[in-house]
Amino acid sequence: MKACPENIVHFMNDYLDGDISSTDEATLKEHLKSCSDCQKLYHELSKTIAFVQSASHIHAPSDFVQKTMARLPKEKKQANIQR
Amino acid sequence: MDALVNKRIAKVIKGDQNAFAEIVELYQHQLYQICYRMLGNKHEAEDIAQEAFMRAYVNIHTFDQKRKFSTWLYRIATNLCIDRIRKKKPDYYLDAEVRGAEGLDMYSKIANDDQLPEEELMQMEVQERVQYEISRLPDKYRAAIVLKYIEELPLAEISEILDLPLGTVKTRIHRGREALRKQLSNL
Repeated sequence: MKACPENIVHFMNDYLDGDISSTDEATLKEHLKSCSDCQKLYHELSKTIAFVQSASHIHAPSDFVQKTMARLPKEKKQANIQR
Repeated sequence: MDALVNKRIAKVIKGDQNAFAEIVELYQHQLYQICYRMLGNKHEAEDIAQEAFMRAYVNIHTFDQKRKFSTWLYRIATNLCIDRIRKKKPDYYLDAEVRGAEGLDMYSKIANDDQLPEEELMQMEVQERVQYEISRLPDKYRAAIVLKYIEELPLAEISEILDLPLGTVKTRIHRGREALRKQLSNL
């Protein structure tokens, strides 16, 4: 098996970052067509990203604002009253 | 949004604490989410997110209003999270007590190179598994991955939050991605 050009991995990373030039993208896609190893790597990385992105969005507890405000130092409040 | 936030900040600087509540209201969920994904534990996430807001409040006069407030706030929070993760590590080896109350606690305590047995992994719910795998990433990569893929922030913003050159952020995301890929090889 011929070793893949080193820049293919760079192109793959650039592509996954959404930051790739159209020439590099064409080179990458051309290479992926003919190289099953790189194809496999590319699919695994895409799957990995999808997996992380499947994390559901979570919310702070309902009393979060209240609790946070209660933790603020009191001096500023007093300064406010003095004003 | 920024103009709105800056108005609130001006009020806070004048001593109006209520204006700060509106800021907390605006950013609470995103900030909490960053902390939760970094720490893998609800109680710690709440504690650190509150601490981050508290520090933002105390240091609000140092915030440069020409910049984005969320970037500044997230930076405070990620630094606190990383400190917490690093402090936690030695504890873990000494601390035999792992309470099951939180569910995810024990996963966040597992050293990065340890892996649960295959069977246990297979039985995990997807959401649980995502958090487990994120928690196993070295903190350097974890922050970059969370900001990129959970918060979906642009690379330039991540670079400001983590105070790292763009190239370094990219490298961390690439390595984090690669580490996750290897961790997930049995999926």
